[in-house]
Order: sequence, then C-alpha cells, then structure tokens
Amino acid sequence: MKVTFSAYHAVAEWKWDLPADADDTCGICRVEFEGTCSKCKFPGDDCPIIIGNCTHCFHMHCIGDWLLAESSQGKCPMCRQPFRERLADAAAVATPAGGAPRPGMVAVTPTPARTPAGR
Amino acid sequence: MAGMSSKRLQKELVKIQGTLPPGISLVSADNLREWLMDLSIPDNPIYPPTDTYRLRFLFSQSYPIEAPEVTFLPLQSPERKIPLHPHIYTNGIICLDLLDAQGWSPVHNVESICISIQSMLAGNTKAERPPGDAEFVRSNRSRPRDINFLYHDPSV
Repeated sequence: MKVTFSAYHAVAEWKWDLPADADDTCGICRVEFEGTCSKCKFPGDDCPIIIGNCTHCFHMHCIGDWLLAESSQGKCPMCRQPFRERLADAAAVATPAGGAPRPGMVAVTPTPARTPAGR
Repeated sequence: MAGMSSKRLQKELVKIQGTLPPGISLVSADNLREWLMDLSIPDNPIYPPTDTYRLRFLFSQSYPIEAPEVTFLPLQSPERKIPLHPHIYTNGIICLDLLDAQGWSPVHNVESICISIQSMLAGNTKAERPPGDAEFVRSNRSRPRDINFLYHDPSV
C-alpha cells in the first residue's frame, strides 16, 4: 500500500532550560515561566527568564521591576543575596540548527497539540 | 504596574478561595484593593480560641513590588479586638519586618503574611502592648509604611 501525505501540521512544544530545582512559576507574578509576565502578551523571547547566580529564576520584566524599587536593595526576592544574573556559559546553551535562540531556551520533543498559552 | 497587581491578586484570590491553613479565612475581597481576613490563634492562652481577629490588607498599584498595608481592624459586631502583643499597637498597626520596605519581598503573599502574623501571635508570651503605645496612638498621623519602627526587641 502506498500512502501519500498531502499535508501535515507540525506542533512543537518548548520550555525554558532552567536549573533542575527551579520552580515552575515566577515568584513575583506567580505565572508559569513559559507564560508571560503580567505586562507581556507573547511568551518566549519577548518575555525572557533571568537566572540568578543563586539559581533563582524570574521573568526578566518582573525581577527588573523589583530591582528598580529602592526597597529591593538589589537583593534576590527569594534568598536576599545580592541578585546577579548568571552568565550564559554557566548553563548548557542549546543551539538548534537554523536559529540563534536565547541561551536558556530549549526545544522539547514535538508532542501533539499543545501550544504555549499566553496567560 | 496596574496590570501586574490585579493579575497577581486575581491569582491569589482564586487560590485563597480554595484552601487556607486552619485559623485563617477570607472575609471579603470585594475589589482588588482591599481584602479582609480573619485570624484565630491555636494553643496560646493569651488568645482564647473563641476570639477572632480581623486583618485589613490594602494593596497599591505597585503590589507585589511594594508591600501591602496590613493592620488589625477593630469591630463591634461581630466582635473583633486588636490582639495584645508587644509589636501591635492599640490602633491596629503592626510592627513586623516583612511588612515594611526593608523587610518586604515580592515572593510574600496574602497567605504567607497571614501565616507569619498568626505564628507571631501563637509564639507570643507577653500579654502587653509595645512601649509608648498610648503616645504613639495619640500622635501618629502616618500611614504604617511611612513609620520608622525601632526594632527594640527582635526576640519577640
């Protein structure tokens, strides 16, 4: 029997490549990392995640707002150590062919029908 | 910022309407600016289990970057007293590090604040008001966030 595909619809899922013990949600806005901070509409590159040297992760916009507040004193909201962004070379950098994704973003095996929902 | 505080409060509200630890309950959250919570204290003779205390949370547009204003609210009916504690003034103002600008962190939330205040009361052994309570209550015109508390006794 000969089967001919006339069309197919590929669906892929992605998630951030975060430290193994990281939470699923941003402690500041309480939204999943794969969703957006409360100011953004589109998840992913437009609303990236910042990993601290202390391994705590936040949406870049959330931690940015906190660090701009005087009362933050530059400290991580979770552990109160001075918040420093972990440099990319410390994490495994995924570079799938054909793209130059931000460090920290990794493709996951394609699975049927789940698109990242903007929450 | 406005979007940030209402989205986060909406999420907290959904969670709080589900489950809360024993002794903590939601009274009202009619809008996303002011919430009322009731608190009872287990296992401390200073606070009989029949007594309930009411907390009022006021959120600014900058929540959770900025701490909410949290005070005890006295009521005649149902009766809600201001709990006796060396860090709680008769006007309901609470001196607690996590509620002031220096001690606040945006990872705190309504539930964790309630738990902290509940345990601060549960562990209390001194049935007394802070030093200078009468004078402070008479003269204070500042909002809690603008008061510089002296943490005179961190052991309590």
